[in-house]
Amino acid sequence: MTPSREPAGIEWIPEQGVLRLTGAWLTPALTPVERELAAFAPPAGQVRIEAGGLDALDTAGALLLHRLRRDLGRRGKPVDLVGLAGHQQALLDLIAAREEAAGAVPARERPRVFEALGLATAAAAREGLAMMSFLGVTALALLGALLRPTRLRGRAILAVLQNDGVGAMPVLGMLSFLLGVVIAYQSGIQLRLYGGNLYVVDLVSLTVLRELGPLMTAIVVAGRSGSAYTAQIGTMQVTEEVDALRSIGVSPMELLVLPKVIGLIIALPLLTVFADVVAIFGGMVMAEVMLDVSFDTFLARIPEAVWPSSFFTGVGKAPVFAAVIATVGCYQGFQVRGGADSVGRHTTTSVVQAIVLVIVADAAFSVVFSWLGI
Amino acid sequence: MTGAASQVPPVEVQDIRTCFGRTCIHEGLSLSVRAGEVLALVGASGSGKSVLLREMVLLHRPSAGSVRVFGEEVRDLDGAQANRLRRRIGIMFQQGALFSSLTVAENVAVPLREQTDLPRGLIAEIARLKVALAGLPADACNKYPKELSGGMLKRAAIARALAMDPDLLVLDEPSSGLDPVSANALDELIRQLHESLGFTVLMATHDLDTLWQVAHRVAFLGEKRVLATGTMAELSRAEHPVMVEYFQGPRGRAARGGAWSRG
Repeated sequence: MTPSREPAGIEWIPEQGVLRLTGAWLTPALTPVERELAAFAPPAGQVRIEAGGLDALDTAGALLLHRLRRDLGRRGKPVDLVGLAGHQQALLDLIAAREEAAGAVPARERPRVFEALGLATAAAAREGLAMMSFLGVTALALLGALLRPTRLRGRAILAVLQNDGVGAMPVLGMLSFLLGVVIAYQSGIQLRLYGGNLYVVDLVSLTVLRELGPLMTAIVVAGRSGSAYTAQIGTMQVTEEVDALRSIGVSPMELLVLPKVIGLIIALPLLTVFADVVAIFGGMVMAEVMLDVSFDTFLARIPEAVWPSSFFTGVGKAPVFAAVIATVGCYQGFQVRGGADSVGRHTTTSVVQAIVLVIVADAAFSVVFSWLGI
Repeated sequence: MTGAASQVPPVEVQDIRTCFGRTCIHEGLSLSVRAGEVLALVGASGSGKSVLLREMVLLHRPSAGSVRVFGEEVRDLDGAQANRLRRRIGIMFQQGALFSSLTVAENVAVPLREQTDLPRGLIAEIARLKVALAGLPADACNKYPKELSGGMLKRAAIARALAMDPDLLVLDEPSSGLDPVSANALDELIRQLHESLGFTVLMATHDLDTLWQVAHRVAFLGEKRVLATGTMAELSRAEHPVMVEYFQGPRGRAARGGAWSRG
């Protein structure tokens, strides 16, 4: 490894049938000699390898030497290796022995296309079933806890309210404000064309209260808290903390899952109201700036534009979204096996599944509400 | 091997002080590792073995004092020079620290892929050889760390530590968490590798059997410094109360008896 040493090399002397090894055959410097050896094809006859010129030899160098000797032997050329120092010979012998003993690495079997498709389908079905059963278990535990409220962990629920409710307000507030501004701006461009400026109130408050407020809140919370639940429970799963809880007689369901579900069911509607207010305020600001609709006019118009039912249908969806996010987050956490890799994978899955399911639930609500004529 | 050719001490620390906040765990600690030996660090839990080990392999910087690795003062090195030194050190971490998303063979190949420009085929072959040298069967190459037992995990970690043919092999608690049979087999493996590859071994351990069977020299950490260094036989006769308690408790005597009946 010292720079004064010559790099590894070979020197072929065809007249004598001698291959001379030179330099230091050490791991970092083997690339050129590996290439030369690959191109090395001596004519028929005995090959004499002279290793007296070797400055140094490590295991990778010895492996190359072993490979050279083996390959020449396989091609039917008798090999005569001379000049190795004692410890170098010992190293080469060790490597030859280990190589022989180890044998070939069995290939890891990879499933073919249809088999892979089948396996993936079965896995998806199992996953769906497992999630349903987790939902059932959670619901039962929730019911049990509500019947005996003393078993509820008040502090844990308060911590969820603090971290996932209050903690989400800055980012949610900013996004909601911008959402209101964007809706007012986009509809304002159209409304201004035929002088319907005042209808910006209807558009902003209806879309925000009925749809975008709850949806936006749920998506932000899924990204912020759902992922955190998965990572927390997943890491506890890896470090056997979950098993430790079980062994102490504490149900992980009661300690880890229920506070999150209950806390989020309380927090998400409140956050939705907050997001509604801020988004409408954003719309108001834009309406004032762009459409000359004053704050007073805007606020006076709201009761005419929306009914209380619009507000309640929006906020009413929030607890369902909360249950979806918390359940999916916790479920994915418990699915973690192994190490860091698995935690990352399940956290991703958790956020994706939560957002997809929230939007599916939202669509279902729309269908139901239109049947009911709300 | 390059191994013991140069007689520069692979690691030498002098007058080290290590503090975390207001608690200091080393004060005026000095220790020199000789080229080609197997040196074991022992001491009660919390005596700063692991931290000292981390300081010796450039993973932690002491608050004061000098650390020389292969003759170079660590404080004066820039990033590239430090990396060049790190390449000569192979480390087996206590929990293995194998990358969980890679197979065993891929784990061993990581240092080779990052530090050399060797062709892929050769890297794969070297990795396979290192796995075999660590005493693992060939089918372990394609397994993921989570599919391995504790003993196999330690062997895989040794295989990765050996990837670059280090001049210094550092083992943090090699036999912790192993059953006696696996622990003995691991001791044997370390001794064999040391004999055939000729590197220097530095390890932290609690295992009295390992100390008797493998270590040439033992450094006892206590009272924030190295209380004594010497062979096991010498240290077990020491009169310092901490060391008496350590070596002459029931476990210490049993391990010593074992060493004698075997030796």
